[in-house]
Amino acid sequence: MPKAMNYKSNSVIYFRGDVSDRIFILKSGRVSLSSNDIETGQEVHEYIQTGEFFGVKSALGKYPREEDAVVLADSECVMFSVPEFEQLVSTNTRIIMKMLKVFSNQLRRIHVKVRNLLDSDEQGDSEVGLFRIGEYYLKKKQYNQAIYVLRRYIHHYPNGKLVADAKRQLSQAEDYAQKYGIGKGPSIQTAASTSTTASRSSLNADGAGGLTDMGQVYYNAVSIFSQQKYSDALREFKKIAEQSTDNEYSLKAMYEIGRCLFSMKQLEPAIRHFTGLIQKYPKIPELNDALYYIGRCYQDLGDRNRAASFYKKILSLPAVDEGTERKVKQAIRLLEAG
Amino acid sequence: MDLNLAAFERFAVNFPKGDIIFSEYEPGENFYLIQSGRVQITKIMGEIEKTIDILYPGEVFGEMAILEEAPRSASAIAQDQVKALEFNRANFEILMKGNPQIALKLLRLFTKRIYDQRRRLMILTLDDLQAKIADVFLMLNEGQTQQTSAGDEREFDVTMDDVAHWAGVSSEKAKEVLSHFVTQHRLDVLPNKIVVQNINELARFVNARRKQ
Repeated sequence: MPKAMNYKSNSVIYFRGDVSDRIFILKSGRVSLSSNDIETGQEVHEYIQTGEFFGVKSALGKYPREEDAVVLADSECVMFSVPEFEQLVSTNTRIIMKMLKVFSNQLRRIHVKVRNLLDSDEQGDSEVGLFRIGEYYLKKKQYNQAIYVLRRYIHHYPNGKLVADAKRQLSQAEDYAQKYGIGKGPSIQTAASTSTTASRSSLNADGAGGLTDMGQVYYNAVSIFSQQKYSDALREFKKIAEQSTDNEYSLKAMYEIGRCLFSMKQLEPAIRHFTGLIQKYPKIPELNDALYYIGRCYQDLGDRNRAASFYKKILSLPAVDEGTERKVKQAIRLLEAG
Repeated sequence: MDLNLAAFERFAVNFPKGDIIFSEYEPGENFYLIQSGRVQITKIMGEIEKTIDILYPGEVFGEMAILEEAPRSASAIAQDQVKALEFNRANFEILMKGNPQIALKLLRLFTKRIYDQRRRLMILTLDDLQAKIADVFLMLNEGQTQQTSAGDEREFDVTMDDVAHWAGVSSEKAKEVLSHFVTQHRLDVLPNKIVVQNINELARFVNARRKQ
């Protein structure tokens, strides 16, 4: 059973180095996590928000705690064992999704740090790297693998520097696979991979590609939106919503159309759009946000009652994440104050 | 495992034995959940293709694609006829929502990745080259919890190139330090393994050189 725990100010819930399978959620009070930054050795503090979990990673992974959990003011926590925690979150994937987002952000940040500290050799260049893998398999007479990798090279880097070599090696691999069979055949002269490691930066930029076509169009539109070119973004999102056979992106685009309209102060069309979207797809992931925008539209139109009813509707939904809840509560406060 | 995957049949992909599912350095778009067959994770280091891991049904691989389309850090090869569910960033939330067990699995996987990367960062942030190399063995030792650790001696199935890779230094530099450690009788370098004479002594050596 999860256990309610009370901690006095200045006490410590756990110390760094402890190994434990306990996970906590802060119900009230104030708790700080203190750790040393790996790079600088400096002490850093992170304050736990009420309702936030802590101790999750070390408990799940059975790793030593990385920080001291210090109680700054009398606090109440609920303590879970790992199985209890898993049972709790299994019934609410939203919590897991939120944690996945937090963890993936942490992971991304730490990845960048690791990458920056590695020798540039180690980092390599993915275009040349991919080509070399193909070359490796070709040398080893693993023609099927070579064919796969070289085809992927040509697919990802149609204008790559090594594309001529890749095409030549590909036809050689296909030829030898047929003529001699896997693992057989004369040794192959691999090409000029030494003369082609130039211009890393431009290659790295290419390496970021590879989304599906519709994905690329969608993210491009998102980027236009973030540059505040709303009418341009609107046009792009409309195209996606109309043309896309991919339900994922067309739904996302429909939601974004509403955001564009809102940002362009076309409040009534925005309300109509979001309302239509919710009626048609009541289960879209962006439901809370769509309701929030409808509320904002009514608020900007001066219809405070309707705005408030939409905000309250969001808070009444079963699975509202904390960020949304905070945002909505603040909107309601502002509404009431205004 | 309590998985509700029947609805995901449309995401199923099949790979014949020996097929590359994705190659090291390829931009990563998809991640996979194995339904049947084994998947071999390999990396080409120098002139050798090294197996890093073998994955079984129920396991997830390529999950870094959820975060970013960074190049793959290793290749995934079908070791048997493999059937897997293929997901991307756009549709993975749908999978997670209906399958908390997979979401939890992913949460655990991320936990491990964060831990491993933080540990790697601890090696890379050491200024002292010898300490960096020594810390690689401490890291490897932490990962070998199942080892019946009688005494201070530890054996690791690694080559000098592996150590260089983990320490983020060139093979030449790593060899130089490792040879120095050998002459100090701190370790023995054998063709396919390295033996540390006293892991605790090595820990003291590293800790004395870490910023506090």
